[in-house]
Amino acid sequence: MSEVRLKVRNMTKHFGVNRALNNVSFDINKGEVHALIGENGSGKSTMTNMLTGIYPMESGTFTLDGEDLHPKNQVDANNHGVSIIVQELGTLSGLTVAENIFLGHEDRFITYGFRNTVAMNAEANRLLEEYGFTHIKAADLVDNYNFEDRKLIEIVKATYFNPKIVVIDETTTALSQEGREELYKHMNRIRAQGNTVIFISHDLPEILDKSDTITILRDGEYITTVKSKDVSEDDLKKLMVGREVTGDYYRSDYGEKVSDEVVLSVKDVSVPGIIHNVTFDLHKGEILGFGGLSESGMHEIGKAIFGASYDREGSVTLADGTQINDIPTAIKHSIAYTSKDRDNESIVINQSIRDNIALPSLNKLSNNFGILSWPAIKKFAIDFAKEMSVKMVNTDQFVSELSGGNKQKVVLARWIGKGSDIVVLDSPTRGIDIKVKQDIYQLMNRMRKEGKSIIMISEELMELIGMCDRIIIMKDGAIKGDLPRSKDLNENSLISMMV
Amino acid sequence: MSEVIDKEKEQLKLKRMRLIRSILPIVGLVLVFILFNILTDGKLMDRLPLVMSQVYVIMIASMGVFFIMTMGGLDFSQGSIIGLSAIVVCVLSEYSIPLAILGGIVTGAAIGAVNGYFYVNRKIKSFIVTICTMFLFRGLIKYLTTDAPVAGSMELIELDSTALKVACTALVVAIGFVFFVFTKFGTHLKAIGAGEKAAMFSGIRTDRLKFYVYVLSGAITGFAAFIMAVKNGSVTSSGGNQLETQILITLVLGGMPISGGAMARFGNFIVGSLLFVILNSGLNMIGFSTQLMQLIEGIVFLIFVAIFADRKAIHVIK
Repeated sequence: MSEVRLKVRNMTKHFGVNRALNNVSFDINKGEVHALIGENGSGKSTMTNMLTGIYPMESGTFTLDGEDLHPKNQVDANNHGVSIIVQELGTLSGLTVAENIFLGHEDRFITYGFRNTVAMNAEANRLLEEYGFTHIKAADLVDNYNFEDRKLIEIVKATYFNPKIVVIDETTTALSQEGREELYKHMNRIRAQGNTVIFISHDLPEILDKSDTITILRDGEYITTVKSKDVSEDDLKKLMVGREVTGDYYRSDYGEKVSDEVVLSVKDVSVPGIIHNVTFDLHKGEILGFGGLSESGMHEIGKAIFGASYDREGSVTLADGTQINDIPTAIKHSIAYTSKDRDNESIVINQSIRDNIALPSLNKLSNNFGILSWPAIKKFAIDFAKEMSVKMVNTDQFVSELSGGNKQKVVLARWIGKGSDIVVLDSPTRGIDIKVKQDIYQLMNRMRKEGKSIIMISEELMELIGMCDRIIIMKDGAIKGDLPRSKDLNENSLISMMV
Repeated sequence: MSEVIDKEKEQLKLKRMRLIRSILPIVGLVLVFILFNILTDGKLMDRLPLVMSQVYVIMIASMGVFFIMTMGGLDFSQGSIIGLSAIVVCVLSEYSIPLAILGGIVTGAAIGAVNGYFYVNRKIKSFIVTICTMFLFRGLIKYLTTDAPVAGSMELIELDSTALKVACTALVVAIGFVFFVFTKFGTHLKAIGAGEKAAMFSGIRTDRLKFYVYVLSGAITGFAAFIMAVKNGSVTSSGGNQLETQILITLVLGGMPISGGAMARFGNFIVGSLLFVILNSGLNMIGFSTQLMQLIEGIVFLIFVAIFADRKAIHVIK
């Protein structure tokens, strides 16, 4: 039995009235990659954010190598030997690579109040070389580097001082295969030095492959800790959800023929600097997927179809010849859109569930003179919120008080209420837990069978493979490949086209 | 289970906050009215018609700004709009009264269009645009009144009666009420105030609506200029001065959230204008000097802003 590095005891944390962690206790050993898994909202990031001083602790204790750890902020955590690589961009724009690496630790280069930039850059360059990232130069602004390189810079920043614990929080989802390999290499190195990696990822095969030990959290509760070699992917899913995940998670049909009837054609659509000459047709009853890296331009395609792109060229035409050039026209002609940026673009966050659901359908809910019927609006909102089983007190409740999954349900309720025939879903399951995900997949399948057409833009390759009749892969703003639905598709074949 | 109870508690707390917000201005109105009646030995009650005569202009003009603030904008040019429109009303009243009314409305709408153009098309924050137009048109008013105040025709002055002013105010407010509460106009304005981008993605032509609301607000104030001209008979270089601050205080006293959005209630400006006018007259009757009155009103204003500002949404002010 290896030595214990970190003891977590009775950790509890609330956000307002929501309890994110409840009395969680477990141990993390030296020299291991310890995975932390659970659905969204299970408390894994809350835990690591407290460990690394991003959130203040509430009650409970961390004991690091026998000493009480109570980090006041990230720098304090660093000084105690705990660091983190975060999910989104963790480097600061406008600073140089070296300034980013030594952020909060500039003291060692300061004499009499002056910072010795030359020494700092030299030290940063030495570290970059040691890590094998020779193409990155310490004196450059981080803005000169792409997302992947900036992640590499973060790796250096989080690990150069040989911390006892490095937290890697859902970093891999954003990385290409090469970037991931680089990260795995450093995870192994940290482990070999006898230090610990806390690894958070949604990718279960990756978890099983790369970690030694796995701790499962559910709804802020500690469930269990297992050895990776003793469990299967299905076991983990079961532990995460707390019940058997039925086979009908994604669609189960293969080889169904999609109608030849074209409902929407996109021709030579370009948005300067984002997408170039994209042409495709959407068929009746089809789920058409778009996959690619986040910057591949795929998210802009959804906006372009919805008439929401600024400066769009080319044409988006419906079967009856109607040109879609602005949002009101799109909505009038039965096109719906849910944005990746849910809180800003999909729903009016500081407004009631009722108004959010009714907003695009107000014409339908008023008489010939444009006079609204409030009882009809209320009934409309209640009906469709119920149909989507939105968890709420009543429809007067503000959307800002709902969880991510419920917000998305409100968004979908509004478009189902509007009766849209063409539905563009950008990252529909982003930040949503497995139960609601399953609801959304079932809804999509039902809509498909009703003859509605769906465009699903997603960064989650598994859901594209599982749900789509056809997947278009985007790279650098252009269409790179067009793959029909097949049992043989796997993530690797998609990734190789994306990068 | 405890989590459900917690949620309900939170919901109840929120409801209570909203209730306080909606009741406080009305309670305030009653309290202030009673307080000043006691302080002035009932003089306020006796002079109620006179007090009320100050309410018409501010109530009409603040309705337009209420629409603007609901969608998260601001307008500081109201004082200049009413001043310039009143000059137009006075000049045109020599020819015909309907023409004068129309002229006032068109003048107000035109200034509103200037505001709307710079705000929407040139994408400049509304308070900066309207502060600019406030100075610009105040300058024009001063130029036009350099030699003498602009006086209205006898016909215009003879129109002055409580019945006319009450009728005009009631009519404007009633039309505004129907449009705000019973058409999609109000819902769309609130949606823009609560989240402009999401409103746009819900199919609202946000830019067009924002522009028209500035035009509308100008037009409404242009109509208020007619009432002002009827009441005063002439316009001096300071005509309508500080109306914009009075309107802002009015709306805040009425419980209007500074950043607009879903919490805006049509009653806000009605209660607010009554409260403002009674506060003003009451202080005046007790014998406070104008300077001291401004000080007290400033303090009351601050207290109300502190209560009603939604700090989470304050950055939305456009």
